[in-house]
Amino acid sequence: MASVTFASITKRFGNNEVLHDVSLQIADKEFLVLVGPSGCGKSTLLRMLAGLEETSEGEIRIGERLVNHLPPRDREIAMVFQDYALYPHMTVAENMGFGLRLKGFAGDEVDSRVLKAASILQIEPLLQRTPRQLSGGQRQRVAIGRAIVREPKVFLFDEPLSNLDAKLREEMRIEIAKLHQKLATTIIYVTHDQVEAMTLATRIAVVNAGRIQQVGTPTEVFGRPENMFVAGFIGSPTMNFIEGELRREDGGLRFRTEGVDIPVLGGTGGEAEGPTVLGVRPEAIAVERGGAGGDGVVAAEVEVVELLGYRKNVHLKVAGVKALASVSAAFGGEPGEKAGLRFDPAGVHLFEKATGRRIR
Amino acid sequence: MTERRSAAILKAHRRRQALKTALVHGALILACAVCVYPLLRILAVSLRPGDRIISTDLSLIPQGATWVSYARVFAETNFLFWLWNSLVITVATSLVGVALASTAAYAFSRFKFPGQKLGLSFLLGTQMLPAGMLILPLFLMIMRLKLMNTYLGMVIAYSVSSLPFSIWILKGYFDTIPRSLEEAALVDGTSIFGAFYRIVLPLSTPALAIAFLFNFTQAWNEYLVARVILTDSFKYTWTLGLFDLQGQYLTQWGMFAAASLLVTIPVMAVFLYSSKWLLTGMTLGGVKG
Repeated sequence: MASVTFASITKRFGNNEVLHDVSLQIADKEFLVLVGPSGCGKSTLLRMLAGLEETSEGEIRIGERLVNHLPPRDREIAMVFQDYALYPHMTVAENMGFGLRLKGFAGDEVDSRVLKAASILQIEPLLQRTPRQLSGGQRQRVAIGRAIVREPKVFLFDEPLSNLDAKLREEMRIEIAKLHQKLATTIIYVTHDQVEAMTLATRIAVVNAGRIQQVGTPTEVFGRPENMFVAGFIGSPTMNFIEGELRREDGGLRFRTEGVDIPVLGGTGGEAEGPTVLGVRPEAIAVERGGAGGDGVVAAEVEVVELLGYRKNVHLKVAGVKALASVSAAFGGEPGEKAGLRFDPAGVHLFEKATGRRIR
Repeated sequence: MTERRSAAILKAHRRRQALKTALVHGALILACAVCVYPLLRILAVSLRPGDRIISTDLSLIPQGATWVSYARVFAETNFLFWLWNSLVITVATSLVGVALASTAAYAFSRFKFPGQKLGLSFLLGTQMLPAGMLILPLFLMIMRLKLMNTYLGMVIAYSVSSLPFSIWILKGYFDTIPRSLEEAALVDGTSIFGAFYRIVLPLSTPALAIAFLFNFTQAWNEYLVARVILTDSFKYTWTLGLFDLQGQYLTQWGMFAAASLLVTIPVMAVFLYSSKWLLTGMTLGGVKG
C-alpha cells in the first residue's frame, strides 16, 4: 500500500507539450479517478506513473520513493490495459502467474495466488483456456486477475471498461468497486466516462488540455464545479449554460439576459458585476406549462419532449439558446407550448464569462 | 411468376459459380503440371540404364529402369560430403540470419532513432543490386578475413545477403503485434529484451518460419558465391559438386539427375515440417480486436 505524488509534471512529445505542470497527491488506499475527454493527457499521466512514458519535468513518487528513472518492473505497480493485453500464447493461469514466475516465486506459491485471485473474480473454470476462447468480459476479469496476483502497492486502470458493452460495463464497474473494498489498495483509474468516475471514485481529478481542472470528492465536483469545463463535463444530462449580466440591485444579485430576469443567491458578497454565464443542471429546473408569471420565472418554449420511462427530458428554447430540463414523467407539455421555468436556487452556478471560473 | 424468376436467377448464379470453380481448378492443375513435369522427366532420366541415357522415350518409368545412377552417386562421388557441407552451412545461415534479422527488425519496429527510415530504405535498396555485382566485394572481404574455404565464411556471406529481406518481413509482422502486450510484460517484470524474447518472438512464429525458409532455400540453392569462396572439393556444397559432374567431353546425366532429386529431399522436409509454424492468427484474442 502506498501514496502517490505527482509534483510539477510536464510532458512533451517533441515540441508538443501535453501535460503542463501537473501536481497531484493521492493518499494510501484512495480510489482516484482521472477523468477527462480523449486526448486530455490523463492516460499519459498514468503511463508515466507506470514507467511506460518518460517524464519531461517533475517528480513522481510512490510512497516516499522517487520512481522517475525506475523501469516499470521496479515500481511495484500493476496495470490493467484498455485492450486487456493478455498474452495470446499463454493460458489464463499462465497469464496470471507470469509476473510471479518472473519474480522467481515457487510453483506452489504461484498456483495458490492464481487460484485465490481466480476465486475472487470467479474465473476458476477458465484457468486452462487461452484468451481467444474468452468473451470480452472474461478477458477483462483475467486482466484484473493478472494485476491482483502480484499484490502491488498501486493498481493502475487505463479505461478498462471502454471496450465492453453497456450491461457488462455496469457489472464490471460494481466488481471493481467491490474489489477496492476487498483489497483496500491505492487505485488510480483513468476514464472518459463521468458515470464511472462518479460511481467508483473516492476522489475525482478532472483533466482537460493537459491541466487538472479540479480535484475533489464526487459530491464536490458535481455540486461545486470550479469552472465551466468541469460543470459541463460532470453530470448527465449535461448542465445548461445561459449567458447574461450579473447586477447588484437592492442588496441582492440579479441575472439578466434577453427574456430572463431572475434573482440569484449571493455568496460571500465578492461577486463582480458584469458578463456572466449561469449554469443550471437539468434536474434543477421545474417546468410549468403556460408561460412566465411572477418573479424568478423564466419564459421558454417547449421544442421536444422525450419520454425516458420514469422521467421526461424536455428540450427548451430559453433566451435564444437551447436548454434541457429533466422532469417527472407526469409532465404533460407538448412541443410548441409556452412554458415557465423555475431554477432551484441551490442548483444555480455562476461563472465569469471571460475566464469560465466559478464566481459562486 | 416471381418465384420462377428467382429460381432462374439462382440457377444462373450457381452455373456461373461452377464455371468459375472449374476455370480456377483448371488453371491450378495446369500450373502444377508445369511445375511437376520437369521433375518427372528428371526422375525418368535418373532411372534409365546407362546405354539409354540419350533417348527420346517419354515414358515415366523407362524400359529396364534401374537404381544404378543413385548407387553410383554415393559410390563414385563425394556426394555425402557435399550434402553435409550444404546442410551445415544452410542450417547455420538460417539460424544466424533469423537471429540477426529478428533483433534488427524489432529495433526498426519499436524504437525511434536517427536514420531509422533511411536505414530501412537502404536495406531495401541493397536488394536491387544484382547478385553478380556483390561477388567481387564479398570475395575480397572473405579473403581478407582469412575465411576462404571455411563454413564461417560461407555463413557470413549467405546470412548478410538474406538479411534485408528477412528484416523487412519480420518488421512488418512485429508492427502488427500490439505494443500493449510488451507494456504489460514490462509492468509484469520483464526487461525490454525479455518482452521481445518471451512475448514478441513466440507470437511471431509464422514470420520467423518464413524468414527461416527464405534463408534456408537461398543458402541451399546458391551456386555463385560458393564457387568463389570454396575451392577445396571436400568443402564443396552440393551445387558445386553437381556442377563438377558435367565434364568437358562427357556428362554423367544419370548421376546428375539422381543427385538433383536427392538434394530436393532435405528442403522438402524442411518445408513440410515448417508448414505447421506458418499458421497465422497466433495473436488472436490477446487484445480487443
